[in-house]
Amino acid sequence: MRKARFFIAEALRSIRANMAVAIAATTTVAIAVFVLGAFIPSFLFVQSAVDQQKDRIDVRAYISDPATVDQVAELEAGIVALQSDGTVESFDFVDKQEALEIMRERLQDPTILEELPGNPFPRSYIIKPAQAERSGDIIAALRDFPAIDPSAGVVDGGETTSRLLDVARFIQWTGLGLIVILLIASLLLIANTIRLSVFARRREVEIMRLVGGTNWFIRWPFVIEGIVCGLIGAALAVGLLWAVKIGVVDNWIVENDDSLTRDTATTIGFSALAGILIASGAIVGALGSGITIRRFLKV
Amino acid sequence: MSSDQTPNGQTPEDALSEAEERAQRRMLRRRGRTGGESSGRRGLRRDKSASFLRDGDGPMVVMEDVKKVYEGKDGGTTALDDVSLEVDSGEFVFLVGQSGSGKSTFIRLLTKELDSSSGRVVVGGRDLTRLRRGRIPYLRRSIGTIFQDYKLLPGRTAYENVAYALEIIGESPRNIKRMVPEVLTLVGLGEKGERYPNELSGGEQQRVSVARSFVNQPRLLIADEPTGNLDPDTSIGIMQLLYRINRTGTTVIMATHDRDLVDKMQMRVVELEDGKIIRDQRQARYALAD
Ligand SMILES: Nc1ncnc2c1ncn2[C@@H]1O[C@H](COP(=O)(O)OP(=O)(O)O)[C@@H](O)[C@H]1O
Ligand SMILES: [Mg+2]
Repeated sequence: MRKARFFIAEALRSIRANMAVAIAATTTVAIAVFVLGAFIPSFLFVQSAVDQQKDRIDVRAYISDPATVDQVAELEAGIVALQSDGTVESFDFVDKQEALEIMRERLQDPTILEELPGNPFPRSYIIKPAQAERSGDIIAALRDFPAIDPSAGVVDGGETTSRLLDVARFIQWTGLGLIVILLIASLLLIANTIRLSVFARRREVEIMRLVGGTNWFIRWPFVIEGIVCGLIGAALAVGLLWAVKIGVVDNWIVENDDSLTRDTATTIGFSALAGILIASGAIVGALGSGITIRRFLKV
Repeated sequence: MSSDQTPNGQTPEDALSEAEERAQRRMLRRRGRTGGESSGRRGLRRDKSASFLRDGDGPMVVMEDVKKVYEGKDGGTTALDDVSLEVDSGEFVFLVGQSGSGKSTFIRLLTKELDSSSGRVVVGGRDLTRLRRGRIPYLRRSIGTIFQDYKLLPGRTAYENVAYALEIIGESPRNIKRMVPEVLTLVGLGEKGERYPNELSGGEQQRVSVARSFVNQPRLLIADEPTGNLDPDTSIGIMQLLYRINRTGTTVIMATHDRDLVDKMQMRVVELEDGKIIRDQRQARYALAD
């Protein structure tokens, strides 16, 4: 405890002595964390919107009109089997009458239906996959049941589904990639700043060694210096993000009360975001200086 | 230079015969423990750091057939060649010789700033040739070191420079507050604790360095040309300090080529030439008398 207080005092002394370097490090972190802080909620928002679209994806298995009750039961057993191995989340049976009702609701001018001979709409199972990505497996598993209507078959959104999934994957990977790049960039910048700080004081470090300072006794103040710069930088970024949220984003949401904002897509709350950002500032600061002193402060 | 008079008026000319000196040394040490004249320093003798060097009657420093070669393209430089030497606990030894004779190399072997190329270096019962790297800081903090260029931390006041040596060994803030002013007063800088190194004269800076070197009461103190950058009067002041420290029982090894100083003190003199010991003489002068 006493040691901790001493090391913090030493770190602050060093920051004061190398103010320019400390400001450079802090600014670097502030910029990186600001970009990260703007990016994370946007990323999560898009991710959430995509997830919702994915939730809407379902597979339809159309049953041919001549199929017997036994054949339909056999198909249902197949779906239940998929459900028990976790591929299918839930399913629903739609009979011919319901199919007609649904169509009637959907059409602008339901009178066309009156002109049809009988009810042309087939029975079907609406199957909700556990994951949108598994719809192909479901189609493959059910396609060859005798109850399936040979022309309508088992289908999902097809093209739309796979494109949506591609988009989702793309957003995921580029998003993660960008976050990693940002973190590494700010890490290297902090490392470089601490390296300057170590270089500026290598004579001092030399003396500390000569009078018997242990590795970590000499190193801790540098690590704390990194953490302090990281924390202050992150705090600045969070303050700036807060201003942007209040001044720009919140107004924009009120003014654009349309499909996008009315959608139930969600993103991270500000306090959780602030917590993550400040923690990552501290970690980046600690790692950045840690890397440097391992390389440049060998005793 | 009254400021260079030590508080009890001790001057180098008071050099004692060896027997008397040993007796007095024992006395000072005992006083140091029981109070008496230096009661203020009783609290200073803490063994937090000194424990690394083993207590006991053995010699403080032993060098056995030590050779040091600085590697280089042209076969390297042999800075020390077949050096063997013993320094007893409590002794004062001058290491003399021309520039380039190997004095600094000798000194730097003692703190394991350098490793010997062959032979054994033993300090306080510890064989440095077999000391693990991680233990080096513990060796160094149990040896007081003084350099020609003072090696003070530039961003710290005199007080903070001395305090740093205590912070390294984990001394409590309360003890630091008590010990540092005492030691600064002892070296005659009681009033200048708040000055930064660049606000002090060379002699004053070296006093700070002396204060730092013995604030944690090392049993061995080594000095590499401590008066090399100082004028003769200032040099005598520093010399007196080292002498007084030696009188409290601390072994002192001092490399110098200050002829006048060595001649005044009449201490043991070890002379190096081209990395070899060519003379080891008690109560000696800088140069061999004709
Ligand atoms: N780091 C070094 N690399 C190579 N040679 C060195 C190094 N340090 C000292 N020497 C050489 O070793 C010899 C002894 O030097 P040194 O111990 O510094 O002598 P002194 O302190 O008596 O002047 C000299 O010839 C010097 O040039
Ligand atoms: Mg030298």
